[in-house]
Amino acid sequence: MVEITHLDSMPKASVRAADGTAAAAALGLNFGSSERRGDTLVVRIRPDEWYLLGDGAPAMAASLDLSGFASMVDTSHSRTAVRVTGDRAADTLAKLGSADFGDHMTPNRAALGNGIAGVTCDIVRDDQSGVRSYLLLLDGSFVTYFLGALHDAASEF
Amino acid sequence: MLLVPCPHCGPMNAGDLTYNGESHRRPDPKTCTPKEWRTYLYLRENPSGWLLENWYCSSGCRKHFKIERHTLTGELRAPVLPGRKPGATQGDMK
Amino acid sequence: MSYRLPAPLGNAIDRSSAISFTWNGKKLKGFEGDTIASALLANGEHILGRSMKYHRPRGVLTADFWDPNTTVQVDDEPNVRASHRKLADGMAVSAQNVWPSLKFDVKAANGLVGRFLTAGFYYKTFMKPAKLWPTYEHVLAKFAPGGAVDLNTPHGRYDKRYAHPDVVVAGGGPSGMAAALAAAEAGSSVMLVEHEHQLGGHLLWGSDDDQVAATELAASCEAAGVEILSNSTVAGRYEDNWISISQRNHPGVIERLIKARAKTLVVAAGTIERPYVFQGNDLPGVMTSGGAQRLIRMYGVKPGTRAVVFTANESGDSAVEALQSAGISIARVVDARSGEGITSASGSKSRVKRVTLSDGATVDCDLLVTAVGWTTPTSLLNMAGDRPVYDADAARFFPAGPPDNVLATGGMVGDGSRNELIAHGRATGELAAGRAVVVRHRIQAATARATPVDGQEPDYPADERTPLDRARHPEVYRSTTHGIVDYSEDVSSKDLFSAAGEGFDSVELIKRFTTATMGPSQGKLETVNTVAMLAEARNETIAEVGTTMWRPPYAPISLGALAGRINEPTRVSVLQSWHEANGATPILAGQWVRPEHYGDPAAEVLNTRTNVGIIDVTPLGKLDLQGPDVPKLLSLLYTNKWMALPIGGVRYGLMCAEDGVVLDDGVTARLDEEHYLMTTTSSGAAKIWHWIEMWLQTEHPDWQVHVTPVTTGLTSINIAGPNSRELLGRLTDDIDLDPDAFPYMNVRRGTIAGVENCIAWRIGFTGELSYEIHVPSGHAVHVWGQLLEQGADLGVKAFGLEAQRIMRLEKGHFIVGQDTDGLSKAPVTGLNPLLKLDKDDWAGMPEVAWTIESGDHPVIVACQPDNGSVVPEEAAQILRAGTTEIVGRITSSRMSPTLNRSICLAQVTKEFATPGTSLEVLLVSGERITATVQEHHAHFDPEGARLRG
Repeated sequence: MVEITHLDSMPKASVRAADGTAAAAALGLNFGSSERRGDTLVVRIRPDEWYLLGDGAPAMAASLDLSGFASMVDTSHSRTAVRVTGDRAADTLAKLGSADFGDHMTPNRAALGNGIAGVTCDIVRDDQSGVRSYLLLLDGSFVTYFLGALHDAASEF
Repeated sequence: MLLVPCPHCGPMNAGDLTYNGESHRRPDPKTCTPKEWRTYLYLRENPSGWLLENWYCSSGCRKHFKIERHTLTGELRAPVLPGRKPGATQGDMK
Repeated sequence: MSYRLPAPLGNAIDRSSAISFTWNGKKLKGFEGDTIASALLANGEHILGRSMKYHRPRGVLTADFWDPNTTVQVDDEPNVRASHRKLADGMAVSAQNVWPSLKFDVKAANGLVGRFLTAGFYYKTFMKPAKLWPTYEHVLAKFAPGGAVDLNTPHGRYDKRYAHPDVVVAGGGPSGMAAALAAAEAGSSVMLVEHEHQLGGHLLWGSDDDQVAATELAASCEAAGVEILSNSTVAGRYEDNWISISQRNHPGVIERLIKARAKTLVVAAGTIERPYVFQGNDLPGVMTSGGAQRLIRMYGVKPGTRAVVFTANESGDSAVEALQSAGISIARVVDARSGEGITSASGSKSRVKRVTLSDGATVDCDLLVTAVGWTTPTSLLNMAGDRPVYDADAARFFPAGPPDNVLATGGMVGDGSRNELIAHGRATGELAAGRAVVVRHRIQAATARATPVDGQEPDYPADERTPLDRARHPEVYRSTTHGIVDYSEDVSSKDLFSAAGEGFDSVELIKRFTTATMGPSQGKLETVNTVAMLAEARNETIAEVGTTMWRPPYAPISLGALAGRINEPTRVSVLQSWHEANGATPILAGQWVRPEHYGDPAAEVLNTRTNVGIIDVTPLGKLDLQGPDVPKLLSLLYTNKWMALPIGGVRYGLMCAEDGVVLDDGVTARLDEEHYLMTTTSSGAAKIWHWIEMWLQTEHPDWQVHVTPVTTGLTSINIAGPNSRELLGRLTDDIDLDPDAFPYMNVRRGTIAGVENCIAWRIGFTGELSYEIHVPSGHAVHVWGQLLEQGADLGVKAFGLEAQRIMRLEKGHFIVGQDTDGLSKAPVTGLNPLLKLDKDDWAGMPEVAWTIESGDHPVIVACQPDNGSVVPEEAAQILRAGTTEIVGRITSSRMSPTLNRSICLAQVTKEFATPGTSLEVLLVSGERITATVQEHHAHFDPEGARLRG
């Protein structure tokens, strides 16, 4: 059983910050990892880029010191989020994307970029009450196509 | 498909990266001769042996990096990164 | 008569489950577990097809996947392997490559003129004269082998999957199963891939003990968590153990391609029995010892009634036992190990009847079983770089030594008892698992997101396996007579000898010239015999001749599986549902589904020029640029100057690639001190983003610029037409639309229809007074609705892509990629004032400078056909009058509703670019028309009074 949910209205911000900036220090984390801070999921999705996801994202973004080489873009309307949850969630993604979504390579809280069904996605392993779950972030214009491809892939499970 | 060691993401399928070919120096556009510029545009060494080439981790960290690849054996030498043990080559990934 | 044997023979079939099917229309019955071929043989149907060139009757030779001449049509599916495909209820099976019928085939006449059909026959005979080829082709097509393709067959469902196992084991015989089991027990994740339907390999047609052992090992593998893929083939091994697996038994799909990145690959492909080369070796009733045993022990089918067995090994001896257990009388055992031999088989058209021995004696029989040795299918090892070496004492090739992450086991590397093979497999599985642990440790350590690895990297295990012995085997390849070497391609030993005589004397050449080894068996049955024939012809040893390179795929794979699941991403703006609900005709532009028009594009043009129109231009690429060095970046990317763009300013820019060719264009606005919004063409959005990242990261890593794509986040609406200011004014309070406060080519931010953080700029692609607004997409449906509602009395109407294209052509704006191509350097556009050669650097500058200096380039001009009712096709050629010399082409053309005449943009050589020049345009119909070059690119309002108002 795989559950696919479109989280259409999740607030999102992208923060870019160079090493040594106040924003980079405040957000922290290792590249490829994520952490829940209150009702914000903070993801270090690239060496110099963090995603702030969830209801707390706007406030956290507004509170950041963006001095130095740091910037923020509200991506709430650019990108959309799709959650894939269930014991066979990794098997579903494995039909559409080349990355290793298993526990060794993508443990809970890991984050990575990978093409899923031909759409570039940022993916966060974000288990829900112990159940395997992946949060997929993608350009919102693809979402109709993308949900179709996901449901099709998940139909065998 | 080659497993290419992205310096940030780790070993990646070559198909998940963008290959930007042989690494070459861009001449000074103000002073270069047509021959120099067109060498930069079109001419490649294409050696049988070690080649320094450009890759772009387009689906991962979105960083450009260079790597040495042996064109005969496919062997790759990973760029040595700060804080990581030097001498780790892609050959060791296999 | 039934050839079905009583139980316990037939371990693969379930006699309690009968299956009905038809064979060439005749109703027959088989059992669950039967292959099509075994069911046919059980019904006494022993001719399954006709050979490719000579149309000789053919039957079962090997009774497994590689059986070369048992290809049949099943319902609407052609080219089904009857000796592999399991029988299913209701199958309509028919013979292929026969006309008019299987038993009477007129093309069998080919057999009489066989000498004309030797190797190279087609090349040589039909080469000249070339003009007759269509005639030859027409006739030859009727002789082409293969089944019938039904063009109405529904599109099949195929699938794809990625996998990241520790160990992939190719081959589910005793060694392969033991390897998979040992690896799984050592903690590896294992995929065990077996070509046939059941695990077991040769144990399945071996002794009772063998069969029990097979069942037990298979059960152990399953219990140990091995992922078992039966009826699946490891089709290829590529760099770093990238493994392709064709899976034919996944529910719900015809075939599935698995792309696995294995840490270790174990190759346990076993051996394949070689047919013997002698006269009559393709008669139905001649088969390999493995084939006979599979029919008897697995399918409970009696392959004949009176047999001659020609044996050089234990498999032949074991076949004798199997035949006896099936009640088949053994007319003669001819033992190659004691110097005996056979020279020919003869019979009726349909069956072997007599075998002639080397001593001249003849023996009557209806079954001839041969056991003359083995081919090592080293394909996967070849793909890993291994070059097999021939061992004359064992009469087969062995791997020389694959790379460390590929391990071979079982019959591929030696011989032994069942327990010895299992022991070697276990040792191999343990080694594979040990090496996989090290590889996994390294990959995890090198991957930031992975679970951290504890402690030191484990030692890389050395190969300390006890090698299997190699059984001695006589070299038995060909008798004193000639016979078929490649059954599926109908290539005989005589063909190979004559090809060698003609000079095709290397193994790679003879293969291509004769097509031996190139059929559906992919050389599995034929390669070593081909090499042996060539060695004989060259009077050399097999080791000296060497073997061909085996390349992927190991076995044929369907194109559907390679194509996989069809995933073609498409994009839509948030307004798409409004477009659909309002009669938009969709058009796919790149990945974007867009409204082409809402019924009448000409009316949409006129309404926009008269009243006001709105268009959804969301696909316009939009990049958010932030940082102190944005002006430097823009100066580098665009041909014009950007250092002094004021806040609130918008500028048009042209981008070139480094070869000076036009790459993209668009406008960029300065929103704030260090904040810009760049637009690109719709199709160029992703390309330009990566282009910018490349410049920033590789040439100017010191520049501080952050680039973020926001194409989808901002829904873009162009409001164009004389009433556009009035309309927008009704929706905003905080943007001053007074032309002095907000002039052409300026940008403002504010609230539109109650939506904050909107961006509006004045630009003019349509040539009208127009505002392009960029609205946070979550609110775009509301803003679009408000525009229509508030503008109803102003005549507002939506317009589509086609109307926009017409209006831009009326204004003479070129489109990158439509009016320019991959050879159009920047000066072609005529925008020379924007090509600032006094800047320090910009992408493509040197080439552009040299192009301007040489003056040798075509230019874009506007032209109008002298007969305004004719619209020349886009890409119509422009010729020097009265000649066939091409001097240009029409790049865009439309009927202009505004001017009520046809209008064009064209690229012409400079000689033809002067205003007033008459151009001769060749239409697709062949007619030539004239058109006149215009003074301005704009056909309409060249001064731009309307858009600047």
